[in-house]
Amino acid sequence: MKDVYIFGIESSCDETSCSIVKNGKEEIATVISSQIDVHKNFGGVVPEIASRHHVKNITMVIDECLEKAGMTIDDMDAIAVTYGPGLIGSLLVGLEAAKTLAWIHKKPLVPVHHISGHIYANNLVEEMRFPLIALIISGGHTELVYMKDHYSFEKLGGTLDDAVGECYDKVARVIGVPYPGGPTLDRWSTEGNDTYELPVPLNDDSYNFSFSGLKSAVINLVHNEEQRGNEIRKKDLATSFQNRVIESLTKKTMKALEDKNVKNLIVAGGVAANQLIRKRFQELCEEKNIHYTVPELKYCTDNAAMIAASGYFAYQLGRTSDLTLNSKSSDTLR
Amino acid sequence: MKILYIDTTTSYLYGALWDENKVVESVSTKLDKDLSVFTLQKIKEMFEKANLEPSSIDKIIVVNGPGSFTGIRIGVTIAKVYAYSLKKKITTISSLQAMALSTKKNVEYRIPIIDARRGYVYAAIYDKDNMPILKEQYLSLQALLCAIENLPGDYTVITNDQTEIENKEEYSPNYDRIISTYQDQEELNPHAVNPIYLKLTEAEEKQGVSSDD
Repeated sequence: MKDVYIFGIESSCDETSCSIVKNGKEEIATVISSQIDVHKNFGGVVPEIASRHHVKNITMVIDECLEKAGMTIDDMDAIAVTYGPGLIGSLLVGLEAAKTLAWIHKKPLVPVHHISGHIYANNLVEEMRFPLIALIISGGHTELVYMKDHYSFEKLGGTLDDAVGECYDKVARVIGVPYPGGPTLDRWSTEGNDTYELPVPLNDDSYNFSFSGLKSAVINLVHNEEQRGNEIRKKDLATSFQNRVIESLTKKTMKALEDKNVKNLIVAGGVAANQLIRKRFQELCEEKNIHYTVPELKYCTDNAAMIAASGYFAYQLGRTSDLTLNSKSSDTLR
Repeated sequence: MKILYIDTTTSYLYGALWDENKVVESVSTKLDKDLSVFTLQKIKEMFEKANLEPSSIDKIIVVNGPGSFTGIRIGVTIAKVYAYSLKKKITTISSLQAMALSTKKNVEYRIPIIDARRGYVYAAIYDKDNMPILKEQYLSLQALLCAIENLPGDYTVITNDQTEIENKEEYSPNYDRIISTYQDQEELNPHAVNPIYLKLTEAEEKQGVSSDD
C-alpha cells in the first residue's frame, strides 16, 4: 500500500505548530513555536497577542518543518488543520494558511477537531485499540469520550464549569505560582502531604466533572488562613488539591470503563503531562487489567503531529472540506 | 508581469489580477464576518474566471493594515503563505495609501479614514503626490478634524465607514492605479511580511509593554 503523508497545522491557542505524519502513526517532523514566554507577562494567554504571533510565525514554522523532513508540500497527500475549538483569531491564521496551501498545491483540505487531535496523539504511541474510553484533560477541555471505532465519538460527559487545566492555573495563581502553574503544582505534590481538607468535586454517579467548587474551596482556604495569620504550606496544599482532582478524574473514568465494559483507556491533553495523573491511571489500569495509553510528554500539549495523525483517519474516511471551511471557537466532536 | 492584489483589512474583500499592464479580473464584495469563510473561495473563482493558475503569478501585493485586526491577518496570512510556498515575489501596501490612490477627485489633500471605534480612527493626510502630510496613525477623530482644519487647500475624505465628516467620497479601489504604482515596489521576504496594526493590544496598553521582540 502506498504511504500517505499528511501535513498538519495547529494554531488553536498559543502554539504555532506544523507536522508531517506518515500513515497516521509515524511522525516524520514536527515544529512547535510556543508563545509561553510572551504570555507569561500577562498571567495567561491574551487572545489578540496570540493571533499576532501566529501570523508572524506561520511561514517560518511551515518552512522549518518541511526543511526538517526534507520534503515539500507537493509530497503531501493532504493538508490537515485544526478548525476548532479554540481561540477564534488564533485558529484563523492556521486555517487560512492551510486553505492557501491546499488551494495553490491542489491538495485535499482536512478539517480536524482539536479534541480528536489530542485523542489521536495516542496513535503516535501505538495503534489505537477499540473500543476505548478517552479522557481528555487540558486547559480548555475535560471530557470523557467513548469510541467504538475510528472517528466514532460518543461524549459521555464533560466539565460543567472550569476545565481541569484552567483550575490548575487559577489555583496556582492563588498560591503565588507563576503561569503556567500546573507543572509546579505537580512537582510540589510529590514533596507534600495531603493535610488540607478539600472537597472531592462532583462526587456523584454521572460522567460529568466540576472544578469551580474545588477552585473556590482553595481560594477560600488561602484567604481564611491569611486572615488568621497562618502560613500556607504550599506543598501540602498542592498535594491535597491534586489528590482531589485525581480522585475525581479516576473515579469517573474507571466507572465509564466498567459501565461500557471497555478494556482500553486513553488519556490525552495538556494535563496528561501531569506525572501524578499519569502514574495513578497506570496503577489503576494495571490493577483492573485495562490497556492504558498516554502520549509522550511532547504530544500532550498542543502540537500539529496529533492533528496530522487524526487528519490521516479523517482523510481515509473522505472527511475533506472545500475552501469555505471556517474556524469555530466551539464545536461538538463528531 | 502577472500580479495578485489582496485587501481584506476592512469588511470588504478587494482582490484583483493584473496581467500585461492591465486588470484582467477583480472582486469587490462586502463579506463582514464571513471574510474568513469566503475570501479564498472568491480569490480562487477570480483565478478561474481569468483562466490563470496560482503558479503563474509573478508577484503578490497585499494590503497589510491598518484596519480590522482579524481582517488584516486573513489577507496577510494568505499572501505570505502563497508567496513563501510558491516562491513568488511579495510586497505590501498600506490600506490608507491604497485608499488615497483611489480618489476620484482632483484636490490638494487626500484623507483616507478607517473607523477604529470609540471615537478613534486610522487615518493619514497625503498631498497630491501621495506624500504624507500627516503620517498614518491611530488617532481620535477630534484630533484628525483639528489637523484637517489647518490644511491650506481643499481636500477629500475617502472612507467606507459611517464617520461623520465633511467632503466624504466612498472608497472604491482603483486597482489600475494601485497596482501600477506598486508593481515595482521592492520585494520582501515572505517571512517578514506582517500586519501593521498601528495599535497595541489592550493587554499591552494596560501593562505598558509590547509583546514584540
